[in-house]
Amino acid sequence: MSRITRRTMLRGLGVAMGLPFLDSMVPGTVLNAAQAAGTTAGGAAAVAPTRMAYFFIPNGVNIPYWTPNKEGFDFDLTPTLEPLKAVQKDVMVLSGLTLDNARAKGDGPGDHARSAAAFLTGAHPYKTSGANIKLGVSVDQIAANMIGSQTRLPSLELGLDKGQTAGNCDSGYSCAYVSNISWRSETTPMPKEVDPGSLFDRLFGAGNDKAAAESRAKRYMYRKSILDFVAEDAKRLDRQLGKVDQQKMDEFTTSIREIEKRIVMMQKQEAEQKKPDMARPEGIPGDMTEHMKLMCDLLVLAFQMDITRVSTVMVARDGSDRHYRWLNITEGHHTLSHHGGNAAKIESIRKIDRYHMEQFAYFLQKMKSIKEGSGTLLDHSMIMLGSGISDGDRHNHDELPIVLAGKGGGFIKPGRHIRFPRNTPLCNLYLSMLENMGVKQDRFGDSNGRLSTLML
Amino acid sequence: MAKGPAAAELLNQRFATQIKPLMTQYCFTCHGNGKHKGDVTLDKYATWKDVQADKQTWTTVMDVLSQGIMPPEEKPQPAKKDKELIAAWAAEAMDYIDCSGPRDPGHVTLHRLNRNEYNNTIRDLCAIDFKPADDFPADDTGYGFDNIGDVLSMSPLLAEKYLSAAEQVMERAILMGNPYAKKVKRFTGIQMEPTVGQTADSSAWNLSNNGELFKKFDFVTAAEYEIRIQAFGEQFGEEAPKMVLRLDGKDILTFDVKAVGRFPETYRYRGKIPGGNHRVALAYTNNAVDRNNPDRSKRGDRNLIVVWMEIEGPFNAPPPPIPESHKRVLVATPGRDGTEDECAAKIVRNFATRAFRRPASVEEVAGLMRLYRMARANKEPFEQAVKIPLQAVLVSPHFLFRVETDPPANPEIPHPISDYELASRLSYFIWSSMPDDELMQLAANRTLHNPPVLSKQVRRMLSDPRAVELVRNFVGQWLELRNLDDWTPDERRFPNFDEKLRRAMKKEAELFFSTVIKEDRSILELLDSDYTYVNERLAKHYGMTDVKGEDFKRVSLAGTHRGGVLTMASVLTVTAMPSRTSPVKRGKFVLEQILGTPPPPPPPEVPALPDKREDVQAASLRQRLEKHRSNPNCAVCHQRMDPIGFAMENFDAIGAWRDKDAGGHAIDTSGKLPNGQVVDGPENLRKVLVSRKGDFLRCVTEKMLTYALGRGMEEYDRCTVKEICLSVEKNNYRFSSVVDAIVQSDAFLKRRGKSEATALVKVEGTEVKK
Repeated sequence: MSRITRRTMLRGLGVAMGLPFLDSMVPGTVLNAAQAAGTTAGGAAAVAPTRMAYFFIPNGVNIPYWTPNKEGFDFDLTPTLEPLKAVQKDVMVLSGLTLDNARAKGDGPGDHARSAAAFLTGAHPYKTSGANIKLGVSVDQIAANMIGSQTRLPSLELGLDKGQTAGNCDSGYSCAYVSNISWRSETTPMPKEVDPGSLFDRLFGAGNDKAAAESRAKRYMYRKSILDFVAEDAKRLDRQLGKVDQQKMDEFTTSIREIEKRIVMMQKQEAEQKKPDMARPEGIPGDMTEHMKLMCDLLVLAFQMDITRVSTVMVARDGSDRHYRWLNITEGHHTLSHHGGNAAKIESIRKIDRYHMEQFAYFLQKMKSIKEGSGTLLDHSMIMLGSGISDGDRHNHDELPIVLAGKGGGFIKPGRHIRFPRNTPLCNLYLSMLENMGVKQDRFGDSNGRLSTLML
Repeated sequence: MAKGPAAAELLNQRFATQIKPLMTQYCFTCHGNGKHKGDVTLDKYATWKDVQADKQTWTTVMDVLSQGIMPPEEKPQPAKKDKELIAAWAAEAMDYIDCSGPRDPGHVTLHRLNRNEYNNTIRDLCAIDFKPADDFPADDTGYGFDNIGDVLSMSPLLAEKYLSAAEQVMERAILMGNPYAKKVKRFTGIQMEPTVGQTADSSAWNLSNNGELFKKFDFVTAAEYEIRIQAFGEQFGEEAPKMVLRLDGKDILTFDVKAVGRFPETYRYRGKIPGGNHRVALAYTNNAVDRNNPDRSKRGDRNLIVVWMEIEGPFNAPPPPIPESHKRVLVATPGRDGTEDECAAKIVRNFATRAFRRPASVEEVAGLMRLYRMARANKEPFEQAVKIPLQAVLVSPHFLFRVETDPPANPEIPHPISDYELASRLSYFIWSSMPDDELMQLAANRTLHNPPVLSKQVRRMLSDPRAVELVRNFVGQWLELRNLDDWTPDERRFPNFDEKLRRAMKKEAELFFSTVIKEDRSILELLDSDYTYVNERLAKHYGMTDVKGEDFKRVSLAGTHRGGVLTMASVLTVTAMPSRTSPVKRGKFVLEQILGTPPPPPPPEVPALPDKREDVQAASLRQRLEKHRSNPNCAVCHQRMDPIGFAMENFDAIGAWRDKDAGGHAIDTSGKLPNGQVVDGPENLRKVLVSRKGDFLRCVTEKMLTYALGRGMEEYDRCTVKEICLSVEKNNYRFSSVVDAIVQSDAFLKRRGKSEATALVKVEGTEVKK
């Protein structure tokens, strides 16, 4: 055995013994988040962490069927929001928010690409079909960067679109803008997991692995050694590359380091990893309702078991022309969204909007059904659903349809409809949500303040 | 078309002396001298460069001139020859390019293998039929393709999948231990499947009536096996219980089970059994019961009780066959080919060289060998230990990316890529996979870049079965055929669309393109051909009657209205809406994907077509569209798209022929293009398109060059495209000549470094590259 071999092995073993900093780190940061949220410090040890998720729906909605007439606590549930009835006291409808950077700003057509791109980044995408993709870091990834190390997966990106489409995505924008809402850096999107089976494996692989603990430990050790080797390899290669290619290698190295961290976490959580109360789903269901339900069930479990605290769910890529045949709708979503005032098409859009809301309601109810500490999982969460386009026919980016659910650990007073002044940046909401996650920032995207009324 | 600065000067002079005076007379009254009616100013252009910087305006100028939209009726009209003079100059100015200098090959960004490339590479590297990338996140696309280096990004999710895929690949590729080693497997009575009886005790089975107790067992290979059964009888009458050993229902041996409960006996059979899954059954055949005999001592019940069955074997098995993957990966065996360390090094060097698609360096092998030694020191068996460095190879950036490096000195000066890099460019272009041994050998000899060698390789690669990837990945994306996979036409309007038809549509396109490639036919056959491929299902869809069965046959299209890709059901379906045809969508598709002259996107807030039943019945689609086109903002582009789409209106939204539309209106397929050319029906459209074969060739070339290089087309690629087109024309449009000319171009053979992302400066809303 050579000297280096022994050292590599010891490094592997050291990892297997667990690292002390992790123990001390978790409760500390949770405490910070709780303090930031203004909860009493009395039962700090029992304070549950705050979770955050963003659901994205494409193509805007029909606003008249969406926006409640009344503001405040006894707001009316419009036809589209009606599925939220069982959780009305846990949700807040936010009207008047704007995504300014989804606007053209001289770049011409491409509202669908810009709306998905700007949705969580608040940034204006550089118009390109491929070269020089540039956007901004999304709000979920900023949170994940700050608090992600406390959980095995810093964040979870989910979606329902199976494949990519052939052809052009939207008016000269690369599909990267259309198909991703979560961005790790200005140039790198976070791809989505769409297969519930693969998602299940990622979440519960360790707890569900039939292999003996000993062989698992060995596998972790080899994985670590392989990653060490690969990281060295990447470093050597990096020196031979020009700037543009180095950026690609940087994406690679960061990803490799991320996986190393996860392996450490896996080993640490090995003992406490519980088996989920759910069988492994096989493949991607053809039925959208079933698919969405499985992804929601798994996300609830991931939050409940504290595998991650940050997530995004892309119901479909923007501009999606999905066919909701089970709702007896014959045209695609995007085609219908350009209804041009046609009553039958508006009716179909209303059905689709309501259908999306039913799926969201299922998720919220499930979150609410799980007791955690003195409240529910939903109480300790901030779950937002919305679109980057307001009215799919007009492609306007003000007056966005936005719903926020959960109490965020006490930071939010839900059960209301709030109307904000015209052109209030959606990013103000994100800044407030980040603050409640324990992430202090002065600005995010085009924010010009915080939404102080969330708390009352 | 002329080259060089003199030609450029001539163009500019012509503008000053001929064109500008005409425009001053007929255009500038409203669009010049400080006036900009309709937001159009025309007196700001002076040179061909200005025109090229604003092609959109000038395309419109040419269109409105030829359509007689401008100048407006009440204004003075230029003579026909003056109109033509302006149009001809504008066309030349837009097309002008100085190709006299050296070519800029451009920069290809470090290219991660996409999902198809990964799967194919694993297949060729390890000889296993396993597609781990099907579980990877979808690759994003750019410029219409999913192999664009700039857009293929990395993420922790993907890194995690790579790591686990590497383990699974090795698991499947390498045979561990001897699968034919002798084993004993015991099944207790209750672990077997009965047709009659009940449990005798906690583990034995009582066959209380005639019937069987059986087990399906996988015999690993044809060899001798021993089957042992421990059993006893509940004796009654003259005979002992008979136990018949049956293999797949055939009697092998019959035992008289004389043993009694307190002393069960073991009954044995030893003999040859063929490999595979067999049903091993123990049958009880002579049940006897007498409960009513007046002589109480003669009353009784005979039963057979099976305690367990053991299968041992194989005995004297032949040596197990080594799977191809095992041989491909483990190229040396300790003992036979050297010491363990020597063999491991050989295996690692060979695998890394093939995986990295160039010789692995001494340092790389040394680093990988440290992983091997660590695992071996950790008491892993040899095969297991050698897997660890091989897994590392599969996660290395040299495997996952197609690495091309620049010389350290002056990396930004164009330079030829290495022969190994060239081998990869070739193989990923034509096969979407790694280079094979022949390409690697030519790269090692440094002869691959020689033009005759390259041409020969192109020909060889195109006739290889792997070239089907070019159809699946290039054509599948270019003609958007991949969208067919998730396509769901409205089932109420198209109840006969089903999975079989979908697959048949796809297969037709695949077979047609494969034929063009294999027989090296003219690419103009894509526009107009007299043959296609159908099976019974598709033939019926096309109204042909003489093809039967599932298999595809090449058929003549004479007298069918069909010919070329635009009349294939696959293309007609993905260019329609789920419930109806869309002449606009089809017209746009032809402009974008066939002629390479895409219309600008629609202005925002355009009301779409009403599609209510009343509307459909009240007016034909044409009438409804014409109403929509009366808006001048829409007219300019729709006059280019709609006539093409209308010419295809005889094909419904799943590509079947029809004479009336959904509302029962007779279909009118006539129309007039902006240049005055009349189009009417699919046959005529084919002629029109063939007459524009120059545009088609340029379009195919640009798309294929984009795909081949994995980057978007830049201004400096125009000369390359032009030269490729010229070469293809000279070669009668043969398919291989397109591929060959691309491969022989500087853009393909050379590269340059790029140290900074192109700086972007915003100037009044428009971006200027600096």
